Amino acid sequence: MNESTLFAAAMGLYFLAALIYLAFLFGKKDKTAKTAFIPAVAGLVIHTGALILRTVESGHAPFTNMYESLSFLAWATALAFVLINLRFSIPKAGPYLMLVTVALMALASSPLMPKETAPLVPALQSYWLWLHVSVTLLGEAFFAVAFITSLMYLSARDPEKKDKMDSVSYRAVAVGFPLFTLGGLVFGMVWAQKAWGTYWSWDPKEVWSLITWFVFALYLHTRIVMGWKGKRSAWIAILGFLAALFTYFGVNYLLSGLHSYA
Amino acid sequence: MKAVIRFLSSVKLAIALLIILAVASIVGTLIPQGRTAEEYAVRYGGLSSAFIRLQLTAVYHSLWYLALLGLFALNLLVCTLTRLSPKVRRARRPHLAADPKSLAAARIKDRFKRTGPLADAQADVQSGLKRAGYRVRSSVEGGRACLLGRKRTAGLFGSDIVHAGLLVIIAGGIASGLGGFKTSIPLKEGEVAAVPKAGFEVRLDEFATEYYPDGAVKDWKSTVTVLEGGKPVLTEIVEVNHPLAHKGFNLYQMDYGSDWESVTLEVWAKKKSDPAFLRKFNLKPGDKAALGDPEGTEVFVRRFLPDFVLGEANQPETRSLQPNNPAALVEGYRGGAKAFDGWIFAQYPDFAQMHGAEGADLVFELKGYTAGEYSVLEAAKDPGVPLVWLGSILLMAGLAVAFYWPTWEVRAVLEEAGGKTDVVLGGQAAKSRDRFEKEFAALVAALRRTP
Repeated sequence: MNESTLFAAAMGLYFLAALIYLAFLFGKKDKTAKTAFIPAVAGLVIHTGALILRTVESGHAPFTNMYESLSFLAWATALAFVLINLRFSIPKAGPYLMLVTVALMALASSPLMPKETAPLVPALQSYWLWLHVSVTLLGEAFFAVAFITSLMYLSARDPEKKDKMDSVSYRAVAVGFPLFTLGGLVFGMVWAQKAWGTYWSWDPKEVWSLITWFVFALYLHTRIVMGWKGKRSAWIAILGFLAALFTYFGVNYLLSGLHSYA
Repeated sequence: MKAVIRFLSSVKLAIALLIILAVASIVGTLIPQGRTAEEYAVRYGGLSSAFIRLQLTAVYHSLWYLALLGLFALNLLVCTLTRLSPKVRRARRPHLAADPKSLAAARIKDRFKRTGPLADAQADVQSGLKRAGYRVRSSVEGGRACLLGRKRTAGLFGSDIVHAGLLVIIAGGIASGLGGFKTSIPLKEGEVAAVPKAGFEVRLDEFATEYYPDGAVKDWKSTVTVLEGGKPVLTEIVEVNHPLAHKGFNLYQMDYGSDWESVTLEVWAKKKSDPAFLRKFNLKPGDKAALGDPEGTEVFVRRFLPDFVLGEANQPETRSLQPNNPAALVEGYRGGAKAFDGWIFAQYPDFAQMHGAEGADLVFELKGYTAGEYSVLEAAKDPGVPLVWLGSILLMAGLAVAFYWPTWEVRAVLEEAGGKTDVVLGGQAAKSRDRFEKEFAALVAALRRTP
């Protein structure tokens, strides 16, 4: 059993979950939703195994190149979905979030992504690699949940479903925002201080994390203080996720800076 | 003055600033920052001078960006302070009096009648709330009892703690900007240098580069001894991610390189006419050695270049200090006079060609080169760092409280009428309302059952 087999098995299970969830969208039987959750959880367990194997094989954290970090982000998104679904029961978001997970894994397995385990360059040899990257990506995964549920809010007609999506979207931000602040900004500053001798360098990735943070701060203030809910809130959450996505992905390919690892 | 405070304390200002700061920050990532005027001229043509004048080429250090951040900090401060005292009053001396009508208007509410006098009912409601974890305050006035039960009062202050954390971080940033100090110290092995403004010296005892089996760099390690008044006080290995801390200064492994002035070359000499002829030398530039041939040739190393390239007017020069194309200029002397010369290349042994008839039979090869290495340490002192860490702790603690330590309140108004007591209850939860509603329902159900 090697890492790529487990990776493929997990991806297959997520895809199966997505298909059953799609069937649930049309059939609307609670039993179908419960059935779909099984391969989703099984995929998550096997994916966890793949990440552990990767860590053992490479001897370092499983997010030091684009393949690894996409795989981890997919794992985090599946985890966020499973947790939010257990707490708030959102099977209707199932097909979309499972498809996002599958898409991330498909992107990870594209031939453009380097897959070999490479020894760590000196700058990455630190336990802060674990803390900084894993917590940040976990936060971004919850932003992905907020993104999907916000889109579902905008497209839904049924007021009850709209209400539910609005509130779940807020709850996802309520988890994602503290995680992103801790992992991306606080742990990032601590590590930068240790490795580069300065906690803040206005590096494009840092600036984009800050922009993402501003957008979600805006989300929280307009929602909690000014009472914006529903449509406007949903749009800000969507914007916030896009900023997070650009921080994660776009900065590496479109802007140059200190964060030139993954 | 009042208008100014109202402006500075408004949430609308905060929202406007968040948007403006986000947009300004984006601009700074789209225009490359801190390049030369020539680069901008090539990139943006006629617009470049306007960009430079508007400081769009150094956004994050520009006066207007700092002014925005300053206004943001002021907004944060005034907004937090003006909201603080009503909150403290609410936490410490809440308004207890309430009437049944206002409670009936609450979103979460219930009412029931029970037998028995007011005092008994009040005692039961009070103990029911206490059992559910609420701290209860009560007042009785004119035949009406008002109760306020509250749990997790600290939750009221989550956002204030977040704001305080942000202000402390910003204060740290200001302290870093005003009092921060940074300098790089290149050191050869054995060399001592004073750390500016620090009152101590550092000596590089050893510098080593470690490699993985595949040749990639694993680590750069500088063994550094700190000296005070010439006496060693501590020795530590400085590597990337492991700075040395001493007297408020941090020393970081920043850069490294070879000290080419100390290079020793391994030069081999062969003869085309005699395959058995082989002489090996270890020479520094400027060294001369006898070849040991019947002609009495002497070999002299004139120059060494780590990254040979033909520059202007075809003059040899080095493109960088990295050994990308190491080359040495070798000269041959006979009877004290220069007889031939030629460049030899470590990577291109066949390329060597001696100029001068007397060197035609000789082949020189640059087999190796060893140079002492130097390490570049960065010494930094930053008085803002402790504030940034303190602010970060406050920020995270505040977020935890704001999101996951929700303040819940239950108000009850009890009135006696005709031997029975009318109990009206209202609940308030700014956060986690769904969980609160469940708890409220269970609480009321338990109260209905007593006695």
